Amino acid sequence: MKSTQYSEKTLDHFRNPRNVGVLEGDDVAVGRVGNPVCGDLMEMYVRVKDDRIDDIKFQTFGCGSAIATSSMITELVMGKTLDEALEVTRADVADALDGLPPVKMHCSNLAADALHDAIKNWRSGKRLEPLGADEIAAAAKGCSSGATGETTVIQGTEDYAGKGVYASVADVTALADKRVLVLDKGVASARLALELTRVTPRVIFLTELDALALPDELASEIKRSDVKMLFQSRLLAVRGEGEVEKVLVHDLDEDSDYELFVDAVVLLED
Amino acid sequence: MVSSQTDEVYLDYQSARPVDHRVVEAMQPYFTERFGNPASLHGVGDRATEALEDSRAKVAAFLNATPREIIFTSGATESNNLALIGFARRNKRSGNHVVITEMEHISILNIAKYLEQEGFRVARVPPDQYGRISPERLRARVTDETILVSVGWASNEIGTVQAIPAIAEMLRGTGVALHVDAVAAEGQLPVDMAAVPVDLLSISSNDIYGPQGVGALYVRKGVRLAAVTMGGGQERGLRSGTENLPGVVGMAAAAGIAAGEMSAESVRLAAMRDRLIREVLSNVPDSHLNGHPTERLPNNAHFRFEGIEGESLLLSLRDEGIAVSTGSACSSKTLEPSHTLISCGLLHEEAHGSLELTLGRFSRESDVDRVMQVLPGVVKRLRGLSPLYRAK
Repeated sequence: MKSTQYSEKTLDHFRNPRNVGVLEGDDVAVGRVGNPVCGDLMEMYVRVKDDRIDDIKFQTFGCGSAIATSSMITELVMGKTLDEALEVTRADVADALDGLPPVKMHCSNLAADALHDAIKNWRSGKRLEPLGADEIAAAAKGCSSGATGETTVIQGTEDYAGKGVYASVADVTALADKRVLVLDKGVASARLALELTRVTPRVIFLTELDALALPDELASEIKRSDVKMLFQSRLLAVRGEGEVEKVLVHDLDEDSDYELFVDAVVLLED
Repeated sequence: MVSSQTDEVYLDYQSARPVDHRVVEAMQPYFTERFGNPASLHGVGDRATEALEDSRAKVAAFLNATPREIIFTSGATESNNLALIGFARRNKRSGNHVVITEMEHISILNIAKYLEQEGFRVARVPPDQYGRISPERLRARVTDETILVSVGWASNEIGTVQAIPAIAEMLRGTGVALHVDAVAAEGQLPVDMAAVPVDLLSISSNDIYGPQGVGALYVRKGVRLAAVTMGGGQERGLRSGTENLPGVVGMAAAAGIAAGEMSAESVRLAAMRDRLIREVLSNVPDSHLNGHPTERLPNNAHFRFEGIEGESLLLSLRDEGIAVSTGSACSSKTLEPSHTLISCGLLHEEAHGSLELTLGRFSRESDVDRVMQVLPGVVKRLRGLSPLYRAK
């Protein structure tokens, strides 16, 4: 069976998803599952009244079945008590869609997991925080320099000194057309990342924080720029045959490692 | 053909091409009145042999090679198997090291894994962000033990064209053989074996509008291979099995047409490609071109769109009657994103949002019009659903 051989019902929910959006207010809890690295991320918002799901909305980044299962589950649980909603299983979602291709069954897990996560958050008293709170909290957590606070050893940085690892960059044109990874060392590193976008389309700014801890003006300039942000990430190792070819990155949110192909790594000296 | 008969807009020529009607005509008699087994010793067999050798000469001419250097196969995957496994086994006394690139077609990647199981060592050269392999970087991976280097002439996926003449020149006289998978390039760029010192070259029939299930391996005179398929000893013992005569005749007809029409066709397609790239990048916000800005196949446009996922994009375009491809994991058997995009330095989430549009002989400007009518709205709708795009 092809991975895109969906039932008519699945296609209908993909084309006309129900209950798309977000909910706000202090009677709303949110569940969040998935990881964009894996190709799907779901957010499920529930408004609870008298222990019942009074309203539910979702947002999903993902394939056809991820969108359809999110939509389907909102229909299945609307108006149900929380206990009833918790009984809705991934199999129920798949059945309600007249089945899913085997390779896509995990998408229905995600939809059920996101809902269960939202209900769990509601029951533990965790309400939706007002918009922007995440960013504020993150900025407060990080120290003003933007540095990580925790010292970790990055494997290979000494081996590749002069072979793609830079402690300073006097002339950005030396990095023209290279894929450059700039490690967050605060304002100077952010300015350098911006400057690099003039000479190469690929600049990645890697930080352990989950939001930019930079002066407002610089932060918004970075957001508008082509600098690719990697939040909640830790650089573990630099790798390559005789020169920098890739780095090993640890995703702090997912607690998983992956390789990223780059040509240069900039670790400005403190 | 494709687009004139239906309302469907077909922009997935890298996956499959329609067979040119002139090719179908050339093949027709070989199913019925001109059938035959070239191995038979009677008149019917003799006529089959004549058709086979005539086809071999035409395919050789297409590559500016000699007929003896052409081995017919069942397609490029088989050609790649014969080239890499056949060469490695036959020449293992000279060394046990093979160099490929991170950009190769899945068949080369999996053959390389197989060779590792057989005791060979394989080095994989990463490309730059545009998908180009630096000849110097490749040279740095060649050791005293290296017997073979395999590089695709162009990427079937992101369309980046490699500097094969420079790579071949660099390896000339080193005793290291060069295999080139030319499937994505053939029929679009000149592939001239008299001009470029390549030792082994894989081509497929369908990629020049011939039938599926036929291909060839060019084996430069003097290059030794071990057979991988055992049997009756056809194709100089290198590829046993009765020849696919109608297929081979079709491939030869396709090669003849490609040789005559390639330069004009490539100019036409490149202009259409450039328009497509220009219009997508200017009409879809937060869109990027994957692959090389100039060193790319005339028929290839490859994009990524921030905040959305490729399979959703593919399904939405399918609903509008537009056939495309994506490098997203969700549309692959393995649920892994495209290795090509990852090796160019993209993050997984970026590779998931990719869209590949490939033009061909029967593409028209109205196909591009149709894409531009639909694509910006589709991207906008999916971004409206996406928590990632909101975050930006």
